[in-house]
Amino acid sequence: MSFSLDYASIDTNKWKNLPPPPGFSNFSSTSNAKVPAKVSAAAASSYAALKEKRAWDLAIAPAKSLPMQAFMLYMSGGGVQIFSMGIVFMLLLTPFKNLAGINAAFAPFAPSTSNAKSLSTLPLQKLAYLACNLLTLAVGLWKCRSMGLLPTGTGDWLAFETRGLAPEISLL
Amino acid sequence: MRCLRQLFLASLWCATSWALHESDVGVVDWHSKLIGVPLHGSIHIAPIFHDDLVLTATSNNVLAALNTSDGAIVWRSIYEAADPIMLFKIHGNTVTSLSGPGGATLRAFDIPTGHLLLEKRLHNPLNGRLHEPSNLGTSVIHLERGQDDAPRVLALTNGDTIRSINSVTGETEWTWNSPDQGSLIMYSQVIVDHSTVYGIGLAKSVASYTLHVTALSISSGEVTASVNIPANIADGLSDFLGVSAGSGSAVTPCIAWLEQGAIKAALLKPDLKGQIMAIPALKYKSIVDVGLTRNGQFMAVKDDGAAQVLHLDAQTSSLRPIWEFAGSTPSKAQSESIFMGSLDANGEPRIARVYWSNAHNKAVHQTFAAQLAEGKGSTSGFTFPFETQVHGVFSQIAFDGVSTGKGNSSTRMLLTTTTGAVQLWQHDKMLWVREEALATIQVAEFVELPEKKIIGSHVGLEEETFLERITRQFSDAKNLPQYLLSFATRFATGSYATVSASAASSEDTLSRDAFGFRQVIVAATSHGKIFGIDSSNGKVMWSRVLGLGWAKKVGGTIVPVKMFVTRTVSDGETPQVMLVVQRRATNSLVDTVLFHIDALTGADARQDAPPTVGDILEGVDVISGPLIDAFMLPTANKTLAFLDEFLQVRLYPDTAASLAEFETLAPSLHFALRAGSAGQRQILGHQVTLSPDLSQFYVAYPTWSITLLAGEEIIALIPNTRGDVASVGKVLGNRSTLYKYLNPHLTAVLTSTLADSPPTCSVYLVDGVKGSIVYHASLPAAEGKCDVQAALTENWLVYQYFDDEYAGVGQSKGHHVVSVELYEGRGADEKTRSSDITSYSNKTLELNVYEQTYVMPHGITALAPTSTKFGVTTKDIIVSSRKNSVQSIPRRLLNPRRPKQKPTTEEMEEMLVQYDAVLPDDPRLILSHNYEVANVRRIVTSPSLLESTSLVFAYGLDLFFTRVAPSSTFDVLSENFNKAQLVLTVGGLVIAIMVTKPMVAKKRLKERWYQ
Repeated sequence: MSFSLDYASIDTNKWKNLPPPPGFSNFSSTSNAKVPAKVSAAAASSYAALKEKRAWDLAIAPAKSLPMQAFMLYMSGGGVQIFSMGIVFMLLLTPFKNLAGINAAFAPFAPSTSNAKSLSTLPLQKLAYLACNLLTLAVGLWKCRSMGLLPTGTGDWLAFETRGLAPEISLL
Repeated sequence: MRCLRQLFLASLWCATSWALHESDVGVVDWHSKLIGVPLHGSIHIAPIFHDDLVLTATSNNVLAALNTSDGAIVWRSIYEAADPIMLFKIHGNTVTSLSGPGGATLRAFDIPTGHLLLEKRLHNPLNGRLHEPSNLGTSVIHLERGQDDAPRVLALTNGDTIRSINSVTGETEWTWNSPDQGSLIMYSQVIVDHSTVYGIGLAKSVASYTLHVTALSISSGEVTASVNIPANIADGLSDFLGVSAGSGSAVTPCIAWLEQGAIKAALLKPDLKGQIMAIPALKYKSIVDVGLTRNGQFMAVKDDGAAQVLHLDAQTSSLRPIWEFAGSTPSKAQSESIFMGSLDANGEPRIARVYWSNAHNKAVHQTFAAQLAEGKGSTSGFTFPFETQVHGVFSQIAFDGVSTGKGNSSTRMLLTTTTGAVQLWQHDKMLWVREEALATIQVAEFVELPEKKIIGSHVGLEEETFLERITRQFSDAKNLPQYLLSFATRFATGSYATVSASAASSEDTLSRDAFGFRQVIVAATSHGKIFGIDSSNGKVMWSRVLGLGWAKKVGGTIVPVKMFVTRTVSDGETPQVMLVVQRRATNSLVDTVLFHIDALTGADARQDAPPTVGDILEGVDVISGPLIDAFMLPTANKTLAFLDEFLQVRLYPDTAASLAEFETLAPSLHFALRAGSAGQRQILGHQVTLSPDLSQFYVAYPTWSITLLAGEEIIALIPNTRGDVASVGKVLGNRSTLYKYLNPHLTAVLTSTLADSPPTCSVYLVDGVKGSIVYHASLPAAEGKCDVQAALTENWLVYQYFDDEYAGVGQSKGHHVVSVELYEGRGADEKTRSSDITSYSNKTLELNVYEQTYVMPHGITALAPTSTKFGVTTKDIIVSSRKNSVQSIPRRLLNPRRPKQKPTTEEMEEMLVQYDAVLPDDPRLILSHNYEVANVRRIVTSPSLLESTSLVFAYGLDLFFTRVAPSSTFDVLSENFNKAQLVLTVGGLVIAIMVTKPMVAKKRLKERWYQ
């Protein structure tokens, strides 16, 4: 059960006239007292921009790890062994796992105005994320194909072919 | 590089092939060495006793020595088929044979060891004259050691040449040729006295034959005299004899002949002057040589059939009858007598007479000994229990005169019977019998054995009461402790059935072993006997004499044509076979007879079978006329269909049910038959129809024809082997598929066109439904004969031929094996569903052919693909080579898609190895160990219950059986599998769990406390 604290939504006006705690100097607040709304608005907007930036980072994170994964694939070789199979399984499974948790993954970066859990929030980032994950999947499938694990040839379906009896009977 | 490649190949075979281990020899295989049925009809090739051996020449062209005490083969010499044995003669410890047309080759063997002492070609076999009988005009006489002590042999060959040959060095001392070669004089006998050789020939005169005698000097071969004796011989071939009596310098030679019912004789002197004597007052039918002509005795049959012994007396130079066998006139009470002469220990002639007495129901043996001093003779006889119902009629005897002494108790004789058995009798005891008919197997099939029956005692379950059921269950439970004990011992000792163990069972019951290696080989021979052979040890389980039916009265022969397994174990009950034979009666009538046999016991399997007499099995006359062909219909009842000479279809069993089955199948039945006269052969495709105005039976009518070239003769039609096809395609390295061309109607046709120049042989693959030629190859006919062997399985055709001459590109001298594979479409991934489309579709001819030729180190006499239960295992080709061994050629080596260059990765993925023209002569591929498996004519393979293993039976002169696993025994646990280790590991783990479980539980509890 996870929850997040949304500090931006705190209603500041309600708490403005509270006495400061004992020993609290009011100097700084009084010097900036002229522009609190302005400052808070700027902070909020920069915060939103930061969140969007972080969302983009997350969206292209799978693509960033691709070179490393490609290197691992190269190192694991073309044979069907436990190591190469492990990497291939990882490559094939992570995109699906990522996409299944796409909303939760982007929820921290959702703008305050929208529903964090909705699919329609951060659509561009999510599309990019989807594309990057598909890229990872494609690399995994390419590896599978190069290892001969994809049933692409007719030879892979030969065992399911059946033949009946010839209509003519020749006696020998 | 080459070395490396060979190393690579060797490592590949190590991985895939299964070489025969020495420990498996005699366990997984057996070999029975045979000699064939002794020849009869002429005294010159009849078996002869010599000390403890008996020498015989056989119809399989083998000269062999058998041990008289146990019948074992001491040695045998196998002659080439083109080199038939004409005669053999024993002298001292040497046996001399003449073989080939006209007696082209002279060979001498040492009798105790069989070592070849001398081999000499007397003339080119092509110049040999062919006579009827073939050994006419040939003769061999060993000369007594003369003055110069050189052992010499006189050989008459071709009817016109006499040679004196030093039998140690082989040098020809002199040669005499008949002055007018090719004339009407044909010399056929040679007799000698101390100084002169007399060549006796027949000269054809106007109405009959006259005798011509030429006298030659024994030392120089010069003609001393030549005379024409005005004999008037009607028959010619067997109506005269050269006889000599006496020894040393007192030899009296004489010729005796039959002239218009009278025996006349003339004494021969070096100047050939003398008088013709006649035996007055007696009329004779024929004269018979019983092998005693050099001892002055022969036999003559009087007009009334009584047999007389005639004796030439050396002192008085007179020829007279000295004995007449009583009761030798033909009568219903006894069979015709067979006579054979031999010398006793003192060199005195003895004549044995053997006949079957219907009165005693036994065979009778009589020995005649002449007491010449008293001028009379005596016979002594005994009866012996010859089993005529089991072994037919005796056709020939050999008689050991040395064994006759006082009384008859040790008299030995060798009987050859019409069923091909060779028996040695000592007095009235049969010492041994050899079933030599097995060297003439015509058709053979494997038949599976049923499982061991678990006999349950529950019958009539519905009516039994509670008490009865309890008692039954208790009585059934009495075997439980035994079962538990055997289970425990089996589990503890791990004594399971293994693949390398012998399949022979110690029990007498006929039941299969765990893997189905033990089967019955039903083999029909050309001597009218059928055998059931246990495939686990080669013993004859049962044998039956095929009855002649109505032809029993006139006599006849039985020629097996085809054999069908009509009921197998999987159909329930006992397996059955049907044997189709052609019965040729002596009066030239031919019938088609069917024998319906229980394969486990050899009993008649017909429901209304008449009671059998002895071992004689009577068949059903399905067609009173010759058979064109016989087929088994692919129906549940396995009905047989026969085509008579009018192409009418007869069915067996001829019931309404089988007729109804046939009617439903009739519109779709197709078959190909040979047709046409010599020189214009055709292959005709047929279908059947019913036209009531023509015949009450279905009649075959031709639908297509393939007209062969003028002079092209059909050698064989080889149908595709029927069996499961595991995969309809071949997957390539790039995972595309070559679909196999699995046309079920394919038939291979082998033809020869010997009249052409150069002569050729051809191999065709013909679609049996519409007659299209799918594949055709023309091969050179080496030495003017087509020795092509072929095998067709699935989409794979393998054939071999011999190429003797380099005549153009692509030819080289050697034995070639061609491997041909047919695939659908023009390339990979194209399919036409060739196995189930109608043959009338155009697509049946869309195929591509891969073929490659390999060179075999040895010639091949027969080849066959292995067969397994589901067809999953690779098919190897089993071949029998001319060096008398049986070997396998792995499929990998015969793959027609082997690349010509270094294999690419994709090709390596397909396990293809680079093409190498020469198939290796690898001793690991030899299945027959060091057995001599001679003259194999056919190889039969059969699946066992293990998918990996195929049974192989080769027959010809010898019989050989083994089992092969082309892809190694992948479906059984390896024998060196460490069962103890597995059990110990599992046990150790169990103990470890038992120990650690309470510890873990205690620890968990503690953790709870301190949490």
